[in-house]
Amino acid sequence: MKRSSLCALFTLVLAVVIAVGSVSFLGPCIHEDESFGACHWAGQALFGLGLLLAAESLFTLLVKDLRMRQGCLVTIWMTAVLGFFIPGTLIDLCSMATMRCVALMQPAMRILCALIVLIALIGTISGGRKAGKQE
Amino acid sequence: MNIRSLPIKNLIRRPGRTMSLIFLTAMLALSVFGGSIVVMSLRQGLNSLESRLGADIIVVPSSAQSKVSFQNMLLQGTTGAFYMDAENLNRVREVEGVEVAAPQVFLASLKADCCSVKIQVIGFDPETDFFVCPWIEQSYSQDLGELDVVTGCKVEAGVGEIIRIYDERCKVVGRLAPTGTGLDTAVYCNLSTMKILLKAAEEKGISHKVTSNPDDDVISAIYVKVKEGYDIGQVNSKIQGHTRKCSAVRTKSMITDVSDSLTEISATVTLLIGAIWVLALVILLIAFAMIAGERKREFAVLRLLGISRSMLSGLILKESALCSLAGGVLGVLVAAMIVFPFTTLIETKLGLPYLRPALPYALLLAGLSLTATVIIGAAASIWASFRLSRVDPGIVLREGN
Repeated sequence: MKRSSLCALFTLVLAVVIAVGSVSFLGPCIHEDESFGACHWAGQALFGLGLLLAAESLFTLLVKDLRMRQGCLVTIWMTAVLGFFIPGTLIDLCSMATMRCVALMQPAMRILCALIVLIALIGTISGGRKAGKQE
Repeated sequence: MNIRSLPIKNLIRRPGRTMSLIFLTAMLALSVFGGSIVVMSLRQGLNSLESRLGADIIVVPSSAQSKVSFQNMLLQGTTGAFYMDAENLNRVREVEGVEVAAPQVFLASLKADCCSVKIQVIGFDPETDFFVCPWIEQSYSQDLGELDVVTGCKVEAGVGEIIRIYDERCKVVGRLAPTGTGLDTAVYCNLSTMKILLKAAEEKGISHKVTSNPDDDVISAIYVKVKEGYDIGQVNSKIQGHTRKCSAVRTKSMITDVSDSLTEISATVTLLIGAIWVLALVILLIAFAMIAGERKREFAVLRLLGISRSMLSGLILKESALCSLAGGVLGVLVAAMIVFPFTTLIETKLGLPYLRPALPYALLLAGLSLTATVIIGAAASIWASFRLSRVDPGIVLREGN
């Protein structure tokens, strides 16, 4: 399997974890009174971003052209950078560090996004070299 | 062919084998670094609790003792509000052997709009307090004014922000240094602010009265320092007999409980680390023994090419050291990604004081873990390198035919 395809496969798996996790095991605080706090919207944004990243990764896997694939990987890591800043920076979380959204959702999502950035960057660089050689 | 680059070329040529060795050594580094950080954090948390409590005896209402709410409040940050007649403070001060008696009043806020979480509010008397004041002085040197509050490090409110407690707008004037205990999730104010907040709570239907007289003051806990030369146990018994509907708790007994739990957890973590190390070491020994058998022909050819036995041993040791180094770095990084971002989660789940070590200590631990992993990884390959360096090229190559 080509290195860029392998990278896209990894980012696809991580993106699915973000999408599924943000509405389940890595999700925001669960309110007893079923009201929504600020962290709920961060969770929703991460769900959408996870789906977007998954679609981008899937597209990267399907594309044959090396330069186009490289472009897709650039889009993936840029989207993941945005995802890194969603919980706590772009969208506020709860005001207590012991709350689920701050203690679990934020670090987990940031680690997942950082891993996607790292993997997609590796794919972009190695794909770029390969495309350069072919040209 | 350059003999110096041979170990790296060998590792690249067999990615499956290299990845397996890296994975095994990564597990070693992960377990030792992650485990050490957790154990060290627990010990620091206990030290912090000991130094923070400062008091010899804590007097709380009997109801607080029965609910174990006071200890939970200190350790886990669960909110609690229990009250006793303020007259008990004078009674405690009258007891022979009491040097200082400082009152505190607790109040659990309603769920805030932002985060659906109750906040523990702790009111203290700046005149007599020796529990909160020295801690506050580290981050805020002025006197607290009316409706001024200082927050624990885990309350996400910056200095200058307004937090609403029972619809009273309180200004955050400082944030406290972390203690690794439940005290980090509380908000601190002086007694005059607390009176305003208690009144506001009363208006919301949350009563804190313990007597029929609405003007009687209430307190939640009394922190007692015993004079030098007096026996803490005897003073504790005297306080118990001198006060009404109260329990006098020796802080040492509370810390002993925590220390016992910590010892149990430390022992479990150490046992787990030991088990992982033994298991990984055995697997590494087997792996290197298998590799030695598999690479006999390769080493026989190298011997025929004129490479000495010591150079062959060095080649194997270099390969294993490189794998261990890569695995060690990976393991330490993964452990750091687990134990540092999820500190609060680990603390909450353990329910014990947990204070992360400072960066220099963490770096030192990372360095030590890495060194130990490289040494163990290289040591596991010594037998294999000895066997391979002593292969008879003629016999081995004839066997192949």
